[in-house]
Amino acid sequence: MWSYALRRAGATAVTLAAASVIIFAFIHLIPGDPIYVMLGDSATPDQVETVRHTLGLDQPILVQYAAWVGAVLQGNLGHSIFYDAPILSVIADHAETSILLASLTMVWVLLIGVPIGMVTAMRHGSWLDQGLSGLAMLLASVPTFWVGLYMILIFAAWLGWLPSSGFPSLLDEGGLANLRYLILPSITLAAPNAALILRLTRASMLDVSREDYVRTARAKGIRPWRVVTRHIFRNALLAVVSAFGFTFAALISEAVVTETVFALPGIGRLVVQSILQRDYPVIQGVVLVIVVLYLLVNFLVDISYRLLDPRVELQ
Amino acid sequence: MKSGLRGLIRGAAALVVALLTVPVSHAEAAGGTLRYAAVSEPAPLDVMLTTAGVSLVIGMHVFEALYTIDSHYQPQPMLADSEKLEDGGKTIIIALRQGVHFHNGKEMTSEDVVASLKRWAQYGVRGKLLFTEGSSVEATGKYEVTIKLPVPNGAWKNLLAHLEGGPAIYPSEIASKATEKPIEQADYIGTGPYMFKEWRPNRYIEIDKFDGYNARSNPGDGYSGKREANFDSIRFIPVPDVGTRVSGIQAGDYDYAETISGDLYDQLSGDASVKVVKAGAPLFGLFFTNSKAGILKDNFKLRRAIEMAFCRDDALRVSFGPQALWNAQGSIFPPGNFWYSTAGTDKYNECDPAGAKALAKEAGYDGTPIRLLTSTNYQTHYDQATVFVQQMAAAGINVQMIVVDWATLLKMRGQPEQWDMFITHHGGPPDPILLTFLNEGYPGWWTTPEITALRKEFTSTADITARKAVWDKIQTLYYEQTPAIKVGDAYSFDIVSPKVQNLVSPLFWPVFFNASFK
Repeated sequence: MWSYALRRAGATAVTLAAASVIIFAFIHLIPGDPIYVMLGDSATPDQVETVRHTLGLDQPILVQYAAWVGAVLQGNLGHSIFYDAPILSVIADHAETSILLASLTMVWVLLIGVPIGMVTAMRHGSWLDQGLSGLAMLLASVPTFWVGLYMILIFAAWLGWLPSSGFPSLLDEGGLANLRYLILPSITLAAPNAALILRLTRASMLDVSREDYVRTARAKGIRPWRVVTRHIFRNALLAVVSAFGFTFAALISEAVVTETVFALPGIGRLVVQSILQRDYPVIQGVVLVIVVLYLLVNFLVDISYRLLDPRVELQ
Repeated sequence: MKSGLRGLIRGAAALVVALLTVPVSHAEAAGGTLRYAAVSEPAPLDVMLTTAGVSLVIGMHVFEALYTIDSHYQPQPMLADSEKLEDGGKTIIIALRQGVHFHNGKEMTSEDVVASLKRWAQYGVRGKLLFTEGSSVEATGKYEVTIKLPVPNGAWKNLLAHLEGGPAIYPSEIASKATEKPIEQADYIGTGPYMFKEWRPNRYIEIDKFDGYNARSNPGDGYSGKREANFDSIRFIPVPDVGTRVSGIQAGDYDYAETISGDLYDQLSGDASVKVVKAGAPLFGLFFTNSKAGILKDNFKLRRAIEMAFCRDDALRVSFGPQALWNAQGSIFPPGNFWYSTAGTDKYNECDPAGAKALAKEAGYDGTPIRLLTSTNYQTHYDQATVFVQQMAAAGINVQMIVVDWATLLKMRGQPEQWDMFITHHGGPPDPILLTFLNEGYPGWWTTPEITALRKEFTSTADITARKAVWDKIQTLYYEQTPAIKVGDAYSFDIVSPKVQNLVSPLFWPVFFNASFK
């Protein structure tokens, strides 16, 4: 196990180095100019060039890359052009929202997707299966912005039960109760993802239920529910766990539509906004952090395979 | 195991119930916090260096200039007390108000004003329009500054009054060390009725009431006169989706929401849960033509053909919706404004594709694509460009849209070989000299001998009647040489909670001094 972890760490370092080159090159290949965005519509070329020089953006691209990598290796992701703040603190502020939102979403996904997936697999072909599977397809097909806007309209504007948008930090006034700001967005995000996990759980369990050892277990007279939970579900979990890991990572980095609709200060919105403003240091920093997150999730998923199924060998 | 699971489920259920039963706080105490739903995060708040709208909305409450604009768009003293002109208008002596304090507690004196004007002259977006070569500014007393110009500048007071890229007054210790780079957040110190508190990216920017504010005694009028901070604080919250901004006001989560879609105007006008706030001054779309390179350079006839083929009503209806929000009229300044003029406007909105086709042929046009830069960041730009392209096609003029994001457009338009036309929009400034198409350095580069002579004539006199007469000539020339094509006046609208009272009608940007909760 430990030698596997060390080898993976080495491979991760190589991947990160390659990712840093790609991130930096792609960001600087995008046309557009942060200085024009910063100074506004009426800025003169002279003013633009002066600010560009002050920020070091007139240096050769390799010099800028070397400076960035050097700083990153010392734990300094840089300074945001627009927010006038260290990038680590900007990311940390946005990460709180994203991690909480993704976690709450995964709770809904877990509570809805997995049990219903199990039920539909066990009632395969019944009207219940067809009805719930159809509902899952519907949820997966409806755009999240549409669901989100109607959630706001019904539960915030009409009923007044929950806040419409925004998210104060848990460290702000309100504390843990501020989680109520994330209820509507997390349900919005959970809808398509729960449908995905539901379908995956169902398909995976159907596959496993046709295995010989399941037939043997049934022939031995083991109670049906025990066969489902101990023999089918556990073996079907591998595929579901993989999907869980990557869904969680994707929710942190790609929930931009939901974050925009609910005006949440999350990572996805930070990335898109920084791209529009050409805030190069923020884009580079956030994308690098996302790459690290994906590598970490990938690693944890691999480890979990071994824990879930002792037959899996980590090499 | 089972009891542990049950405990977990009970705990989760209790948390959900607790979250759902926490009351959603809407009630505001007198004073209270006004929550402003903005379209986006602003650029840095150093208003000398930016013309970005959201920055100005916030900046108007934090920073002040020597003059400001009244409800008739005329400049009135703000930090200035009075002025006198000498030497035929080349020397301007401004007496400052006494007892004005910055947010750091320091009293404002001529030292601060001189340092701020010098920084603006050197680096400000519009500083060079006043401080040309040979100009100077110096303190001639603790509360007096003197500006010396090589030639009179009839727009001087308007230039000192317009805060957009304008001469906000900062403490001298900040202004004198400030360069072309925006000042840091810790240095957002002005003399306004609210002071900067904190900026939490993508959450909010908060400004708090400044207890040491020394208001003018004359009644409030537009942005001028008495300014009173009645809210304890104002939070500017970026809410990018328009549907969320509207629902947020209806739900009581916000008190003011800016820039609502035109298609919601009729619906919201009849909605008792909100009040509609229509902009006092219009914005207008402008298709700039390239005077430096490409097919439209010096080809005034082809430009006229394009102008002739363009039916404004269609473009305005598609981009802004109900007619209450737009007006297809050709004067650069709207009716009622001092600078309103009908000179040359017979060439506006001719909507004559056949005539345009003939004129384009006469201009030697051979079907070469005319490259139009546009952006999807501003939906109205894209809508207007789409209508424009179709109408040009009907007149046999081949316009090729190049759709990029706004940051790319800003860069590309600085490279004359990249484009023939680009679309942007303009607010009505207090003085024509602030119009971008009159700025020689602005992309489009309208620098013909005729406009250069008229521009000089326009700024070299302080006599307002003479300046108006020259402006009429400039507008006539604008329609002859077509440096840009005006689409039409569009009035954006915002919505506000009915519990907010005494709101000043927005001249350029909404302001909340003198407003309060009921």
